Amino acid sequence: MAAVDLTRGAIAAISEGRVKDGVKPVVQVWEVKLVNTQQSTTERYRMLLSDGAHMQQAMLATQMNGLVKLGTLQKHSIVRLDEFICNVIQNRRIIIIINLEVLVSNSNAIGEPKLYDNGSASQNRVPSPAQSTSADQPVIAAENPQNYGGIHSSTPNIVQNVTRGPSLSPATEAVTTNSSFAGYYGNGVMSSRNTNSVPSEHPKSEQGVGRISESHPNSGYQNQRLSSPASVGAFRPPASSYGHPVQPAYQQPPPMYTNRGPIAKNEAPARIIPIAALNPYQGRWTIKARVTTKGELRRYSNPRGEGKVFSFDLLDSDGGEIRVTCFNMVADQFYDQIEVGKVYLISKGSLKPARKSFNHLNNEYEIFLESQSVIQPCSEEDNTIPRQQFNFRPVNEVEGLENNSMVDVIGIVVSINPSASITRKNGTETNKQTLQLKDMSGRSVEVTFWGNFCSTEGQQLQRMCDSGVYPVLAIKAGRVSDFSGKSIGTIGSSQLFINPDFPEAHRLKDWYNREGKNMSALSISRDTTTMSRNDVVRKTLSQIKDEGLGRSEKPDWITVKATITFVKVDNFCYTACPLMVGDRPCNKKVNNNGDGTWHCDRCDQSFPECDYRYLLQFQIQDHTGMTWVTAFQEGGEEILGVTAKELYLLKYQEQDDLKFAEIIRRVLFHQHLFKLKVKEETFSDEQRVKSTIVKAEKVNPSSESRYLLGLIEKLLTEDPIVVSGMQTFASTSGMSTVAYGMVESNNSVHSVTNNFGINNITLSTTVQEVQIARVNPLEVDSQTVVPTFVLNANNLGIGPVNVRDKVLPHQHMEVVVHQEDTTGNMVGSEILSATGLLPEACSLIVVCEMLVLIAFIPTVMLGSTSVSAN
Amino acid sequence: MMRMDTSSPAVFVNAEILKMYLGRRVRAVIQVMRNDAGVIVGQSTDGNQITVKGAQAFPPAHFVEVIGIADGSQSIRAEICTDFGESFDMTAYNGLCQLANGKFKNLFL
Repeated sequence: MAAVDLTRGAIAAISEGRVKDGVKPVVQVWEVKLVNTQQSTTERYRMLLSDGAHMQQAMLATQMNGLVKLGTLQKHSIVRLDEFICNVIQNRRIIIIINLEVLVSNSNAIGEPKLYDNGSASQNRVPSPAQSTSADQPVIAAENPQNYGGIHSSTPNIVQNVTRGPSLSPATEAVTTNSSFAGYYGNGVMSSRNTNSVPSEHPKSEQGVGRISESHPNSGYQNQRLSSPASVGAFRPPASSYGHPVQPAYQQPPPMYTNRGPIAKNEAPARIIPIAALNPYQGRWTIKARVTTKGELRRYSNPRGEGKVFSFDLLDSDGGEIRVTCFNMVADQFYDQIEVGKVYLISKGSLKPARKSFNHLNNEYEIFLESQSVIQPCSEEDNTIPRQQFNFRPVNEVEGLENNSMVDVIGIVVSINPSASITRKNGTETNKQTLQLKDMSGRSVEVTFWGNFCSTEGQQLQRMCDSGVYPVLAIKAGRVSDFSGKSIGTIGSSQLFINPDFPEAHRLKDWYNREGKNMSALSISRDTTTMSRNDVVRKTLSQIKDEGLGRSEKPDWITVKATITFVKVDNFCYTACPLMVGDRPCNKKVNNNGDGTWHCDRCDQSFPECDYRYLLQFQIQDHTGMTWVTAFQEGGEEILGVTAKELYLLKYQEQDDLKFAEIIRRVLFHQHLFKLKVKEETFSDEQRVKSTIVKAEKVNPSSESRYLLGLIEKLLTEDPIVVSGMQTFASTSGMSTVAYGMVESNNSVHSVTNNFGINNITLSTTVQEVQIARVNPLEVDSQTVVPTFVLNANNLGIGPVNVRDKVLPHQHMEVVVHQEDTTGNMVGSEILSATGLLPEACSLIVVCEMLVLIAFIPTVMLGSTSVSAN
Repeated sequence: MMRMDTSSPAVFVNAEILKMYLGRRVRAVIQVMRNDAGVIVGQSTDGNQITVKGAQAFPPAHFVEVIGIADGSQSIRAEICTDFGESFDMTAYNGLCQLANGKFKNLFL
């Protein structure tokens, strides 16, 4: 048992409001009991606190409940009261403990405390120190009697007389009150709000909090009206009461006000309490806080009728937050007054448990304003109250958060998709926009904007990203969803901040500029399979094969810019079932019954008219390669510009081949941006990667130019690929086998994962500098005449490589190598640049595209054109 | 088919870069601010002003491409003017000017 001293006179001091700010009295818990209030299902603990001489009722704030449950806080524990308020509730004095620290869990009882009753000096004589049971525990000395003396004589107080119970002091002195209580009469009862004068509880309180003795007609309420700044002393919160009983279980119904003479209203300035201290048991309170967000004035109708409501959130200088809600008339009354960012003094609202499904603030209560509530704007700025409070979580932690939980995040917007219109399940349309947010944890997450966020912040972010800036985005109150991995979406009360002036934002920006932008972030949001998803992953057609897209269990969604080179006109559409299955048409292929009707196997019905749906196959090409793609109804219509039915009729009914051909020819050699779904499928034992067109759109020169500018920018800021200048090399030609001499190879090998803006995410892609060792006889393939070369890079111990491309002999090559087997042998490679030609050849592909007018482009010479003798 | 005259290629410029090519053949896109007799005053793609001499009038706010000789730090003596219409992406063109005169200059001249 530690020798911990209880603070002498603590109970009396607390009860009388004489505890100075910052003082944390040490008391002993005489008793701990669980109470369940009728009004809510929260558990609350009621306690008796003792300073060895006196005891006082107390209530423990629910956030401390854990201590009791764990057993840390138990009967006779010695605790230090870090934050507390002393209130008068129904004439009873209750200490409300917001924060305490258990100093000694297990302890012996100290002293023989009597319930503190500051009206009755005679009653509450403390036992002298000698009487204390544990000798080594210093007990509050006989100060107390002095205190009493002090109470009654020196401090101007009013003692209640008749209205007190028999146990109370019969003192009838009508002491003059502080001026603030002036003029308060009633039935010979003079009461003041003063701590001293409040009738204390009866010596033995069986029931604890708030037991009212019958003989207190008005006092409780009268008391509570006034607040005495002087007597409250150094307390932060005014000891006030509430307007209604809190625990009706053990209280008698409050007596009516009977005798009220002229009541002097207290003109004392309001005592501001922290939001964290608000609770339904608080009487009169005032808070000073800044509005951080204001909701819309919403109209609603429910079985009880119609109404309107609006809410706003408050933040005070201690960081406490609470939501305030107003209904109907009250909403009208206050809606225009409240402005985001301004500070207000608010009082006389009622506290109720927070509705957690709507209210995500860190407070168990919510304020509901009534018509008598008071909102007073503060004219002078209060810099102690922050504008907004965030609790940023790193993206990698978001992965572990529960679905539908709320989170604040801050990160860099690395990519953003244009907003799209989405139809909700209930038929209404809204806008949706997605972006990827990356932060210092190295992870990225998909963030979805809904509704108005698309047209405001969404568009702004889009413009910024298009011009190559990657802004910082902070989100307050985003909702975590487990749609496609973990993602974050906005809700009505979310708030977005672009490039905010926070320290976190600056840190993020610095990190990004230094390393973040080159780091490939692992996304915690998986690619989804929603058809309507816009994907900004730009690939070239050769990458489909090279990167093995579509081979994993989920399809890959990519965007390519390619030109239509051929359209297959046989079977460009099929006959489809028009019947509805649920909210979608069946669309299954139907069989011709022969008699002009059609039959669908799935719906098992026949009908006279069928739908015609596109099943277009066509070939597309870009500068890297070509592929076949299939377009269905929507894609087909977008590309051809006519419906499948129209085209079908044109060909087969009207037999207008000329017009038909015209329509088809019209689309050839036009460049489009295709969103493709790439997936490997099995066709009679064969695995084939099929690409389907999800969306096809014309290339918008402006946005495409910006995209290319961004791409070039990226190229320029990456580490330049080192080019060495060795040139000793036996000449060769593309035409004949030439034996070679020595081979030099410069080995500036870097692993570059981002080559020239084309995302070659291949395993161990290295850039090597090699020299052509030998040129093989010309191989002619069907489309182009290309030489193949053998490269040798002896120093690295890698074997000869076959290289196919338009290459220049006698040149240094920068070769992009795909190492495909574990021994490190280069198995295949592709020349993406030949250094002898143009130093900037790496950007050639990209830059060429952006030229609107034909500029002077040096031609890449084919091997076949140069012959040189050795 | 007529061969394209590549003897004196026009440099893509904006107001800033124009200064570097005095006396040379340049091309720039400007947004027409006003027309004075035979002179167009327009805004270049980098926001600065360019004067075009010897050109016919174009509707204000239209985008016009001017090919001609740079004869002042802010002016071009027009040879060919083409109206590009009312919508044109100035930012993209400005990016082109910067790239074409910066890192990739040798691709163009």
